[in-house]
Amino acid sequence: MQPATVYSRDRCVTGIHGMDEILRGGIPYGSTVLASGTCGSGKTTLAMEFLVRGALAGEACAHFTATEPSVKLLENMRQYAFFEMSMIDDGLINVFDMDVLYSWLGLDKASFDLDDVHALIKAIVDIVNTIGVTRLVIDSVTTLCYKIKSEQLIRDFLFTLGKKLATLGCTTILISEITSATENAHWSSFGVEEAIADGIIVMGDVERMGHLLRFLQVVKMRGTAHSRAKHAIELTPLGVMLTPMLKWGAVTDKTSKWGS
Amino acid sequence: MFELDQRIAEQLTEVSLNSSVQVRCGNSNAFMVAASTMVPLMQMFEMTGVYICATRGAVEVIEAFEAIGVDVSQIQFVDLVSAGILGGTDVPYTNITFVDSPIMLESVLLRTLYILRISSSARNFVLLDSVNALAIYNEERMLAEYLHTFINTFRQRDVLSVILNVPDQVPPMVLSNLDLYCTDLVDRGQVVIH
Repeated sequence: MQPATVYSRDRCVTGIHGMDEILRGGIPYGSTVLASGTCGSGKTTLAMEFLVRGALAGEACAHFTATEPSVKLLENMRQYAFFEMSMIDDGLINVFDMDVLYSWLGLDKASFDLDDVHALIKAIVDIVNTIGVTRLVIDSVTTLCYKIKSEQLIRDFLFTLGKKLATLGCTTILISEITSATENAHWSSFGVEEAIADGIIVMGDVERMGHLLRFLQVVKMRGTAHSRAKHAIELTPLGVMLTPMLKWGAVTDKTSKWGS
Repeated sequence: MFELDQRIAEQLTEVSLNSSVQVRCGNSNAFMVAASTMVPLMQMFEMTGVYICATRGAVEVIEAFEAIGVDVSQIQFVDLVSAGILGGTDVPYTNITFVDSPIMLESVLLRTLYILRISSSARNFVLLDSVNALAIYNEERMLAEYLHTFINTFRQRDVLSVILNVPDQVPPMVLSNLDLYCTDLVDRGQVVIH
């Protein structure tokens, strides 16, 4: 008997240790993935490694930074052996300061209206189109969305942006800052990002007897089967490393008793 | 005069790279047994590896080896003890990395895997010293689960794992699981009269 043919979507192989195993081969091409995490959970490092692995495979990559100036971002990245400054110099990874982009677009204001949002989407899409970007990171969508006051506008912004980038074959990671990654927490700041995204990766800390262990969990990824287990993360000079978290040690809530 | 137990070296000729060896020792002969295991691995079998120090700090272990004339500069030490002591991580050796606490078991595994990733040798071992020290901080079920993961992770990667324990002080569930997971046993444990 012949096995039934199963359709499987092409993947964007992240190249991150353990990640492609969790995703059974990688992120489906063109997906918009929300990487939500608490401060210090490794979101920026994960996202930057995603770009570096893409650049090493010959893909054009772009990083839009809204949380810290690009100079500071790159200075922090230099400590990692997987990152080379020549990738920036050679144009393999293109880093854009959102503040500079806002200035170009004349968006130096406290809040954005519908026209501003459309201008911003067009600018990002134009850059992606011009360079031929296939891997994109926006760090962070939370900071960016603070300027968009209406929930409906945030939804429209993310939905339209995701749709246009997918059409261009660009796989996108939107970084989202959250204050808690426990079971009852939201996976995004505004509550709408998680509904729009094709995938959600949650990053946070597990407290065990006063020590914080970083974890990563893929809670949603359209177009692929994937592990939904918590994985411990270590940020090494070679990049992110992952291993399944011990089942008897994965209590996240700080008020819960360890191991119980 | 410090004497190594040559029968351990003989026993180690029977193991392969994907073996997991449970090494039982007593309180009084722990270092002799550890050294009698390490020395043939390094000198006879020309292996490099990772020594996970949970019982005492890496500096103390290195100095103990140096005192018996054994060069361990090619071995990487993962120290789970010294970061818990103020000033403990200020050490004169470059082959030591520190993990904050023995309860960060996943970090120990990842740190060891990282060292093995950057190792140029194809013949590596990982020596865990000791289950007893980990049992002070980690709950029995979690420790049994960890050792299960630990052993299988290294077996899959053809890295010899050596697990040191003082059997009469190891929680019974952990010990019985070790008996199940490990492929080989080197028994230099204490005789216990119940």
